[in-house]
Amino acid sequence: MNEKNIFCYIMVAPALIITMLLGIYPMFASMFISFRTYDLLNVQERGSHWVGLRNYYTVFADERFVQTVIQTILFTVLAVGISVAMGLFLAQIINARFRGLAVLRTLILVPWFVPPAIASVIWIWLLNTDLSPINSLLRDMGWTTRNIRFLTDSSTWGPISIPMLAIVAVRVWNGLPFIIIFLLAGLQSVPKDYYEAAEIDGANIVQKFIHVTLPMLKPVLLILLALLFMGGIGHFEMNFIMTGGGPRNLTNVMAVYAYNQGFLFFKFDQAAAASGVILMMSSVICVFYMWAQSRDNLR
Amino acid sequence: MTSATAFPVAKSRTRAGDALTKAVIYIALAMMLVYLLLPVYWMIKSSFQSNFEIQRIPPLWLPADPTLKPYENAGLLIPMWRYIYNSLFVSAMTAFIASGISCTAAYVLARFRFPGATLILALILITQLVPPITRVFPVYFLIQSFGMLNTYSGLIFAYVGFSVPFAVLLLRGYFQTSCPPELEEAALMDGCTYFSAFWRVILPVSLPGIAAVTIFTFLNAWNDFLWASLLLSSGEMKTIQVGIGEFSTEGGSTEYQNAFMAACVVSTLPALILFFFVQRWLVGGLTAGAVKA
Repeated sequence: MNEKNIFCYIMVAPALIITMLLGIYPMFASMFISFRTYDLLNVQERGSHWVGLRNYYTVFADERFVQTVIQTILFTVLAVGISVAMGLFLAQIINARFRGLAVLRTLILVPWFVPPAIASVIWIWLLNTDLSPINSLLRDMGWTTRNIRFLTDSSTWGPISIPMLAIVAVRVWNGLPFIIIFLLAGLQSVPKDYYEAAEIDGANIVQKFIHVTLPMLKPVLLILLALLFMGGIGHFEMNFIMTGGGPRNLTNVMAVYAYNQGFLFFKFDQAAAASGVILMMSSVICVFYMWAQSRDNLR
Repeated sequence: MTSATAFPVAKSRTRAGDALTKAVIYIALAMMLVYLLLPVYWMIKSSFQSNFEIQRIPPLWLPADPTLKPYENAGLLIPMWRYIYNSLFVSAMTAFIASGISCTAAYVLARFRFPGATLILALILITQLVPPITRVFPVYFLIQSFGMLNTYSGLIFAYVGFSVPFAVLLLRGYFQTSCPPELEEAALMDGCTYFSAFWRVILPVSLPGIAAVTIFTFLNAWNDFLWASLLLSSGEMKTIQVGIGEFSTEGGSTEYQNAFMAACVVSTLPALILFFFVQRWLVGGLTAGAVKA
């Protein structure tokens, strides 16, 4: 081994060791637990043994888990869809040049400064049934007569409920600034001549967006969507703090389910199975992303 | 020529259509601004109202009788200053250790080809893609078996582990794009060892990038709720996010909402101040070149 390689391994060793210990090992250990019994309450006397896929059967036999999986997908699709649509719009506005841009940009990025836990609690207060300014505004305008119970109403339309939409609104709110910055970087790489050419051809704002901006943003959008979907499938904080999954399990997501199975009921085997499902779903997204990218490159 | 602003008024045949589109854009923008700013405004407003005023129906949009009392009471509600200190300490230690470990690895991964480099990069990337909840349980047991539950070092260790892959990827990009290889080639030519070339030549010119990554790492640790709630959950040791989040889930009543909102305002400030000072430098540090002179 030459001097250069030794130098490289020494330099990379600390990062590699800590990544293996806290990134790679836990991922496999979690999968391993998901194929064994591991109930903390009786693991001492009964021990832990191999049961194959039984934990997966158990969680999928639980109606609440199936509901949770569907809701996780819905939460993710809604939050990602809305925030990317809004992000595209706002990124374009910030990308324009006009007076007051600096002020507007700072205002739009404000939610970024608010940590997720604090964002959750200020929204809980903002959405307080009796004291919400939103309810008071809606009543003043005569749109509702009763206060909307944003976080506790358990009536549903299919799998969608008011608390679900409320939490989607909070997730979009907190995640939007990052998306805007990400898209802005992509927008700034679109050559200006393209817009000018489109203008000469008589394209209007909407046509320019569809025929110039979107195709040019496609690679950036693809990465962003992959990141957001993978993060969204495993999202935890806001659902946990704002409703804890309630009312009637309507805002439960897989991460909160797994957390509760583990740290509330001490059934770490089923918790690991639930997080194994999350792992599988994010791998599917990852593979899909790589497929989309390679298809793009081949063309 | 109009510059490529996003929505220039095109000199086109569809002028009336464009005017309509513009109106729609302004309305949409105004609504989105309300959505983005109302929660923050509501937090700040509530923190200046009295116990009595905050309970009024319908709610007041402006404090009728602004008071600083909630800020005095916030500390009685939750040991806010202690929690903020915990958060600052843990996040700062994480940021320094993680960026130290990452910059050496990122440098060799950016510059040298050696057996296993691609595999190491792939491993680092994988940990970045998988949601944290999928490794919660083994990490919890691991920290427990090290006897580090409810210690600062346990949480710092965990945070360093989660920040390193992200920091390596960012810094690797930085070394590749804004740190010319001629720099260490010259140093090696002059008889420097690999390490002293890195230490004396590369490191000093890369400080802006490393600083930006340090700040990112700090903010990530500062913002975290999940790991802190598991690994540092007892009494005085909580971080501010956990202190605030748990106070809320344990049913903080609307009676003390003003003091609670005051606590929220104060706990948002450290990150806000940091953001304010480094905003331009943060973006610049990750994109600009290292050697300008």
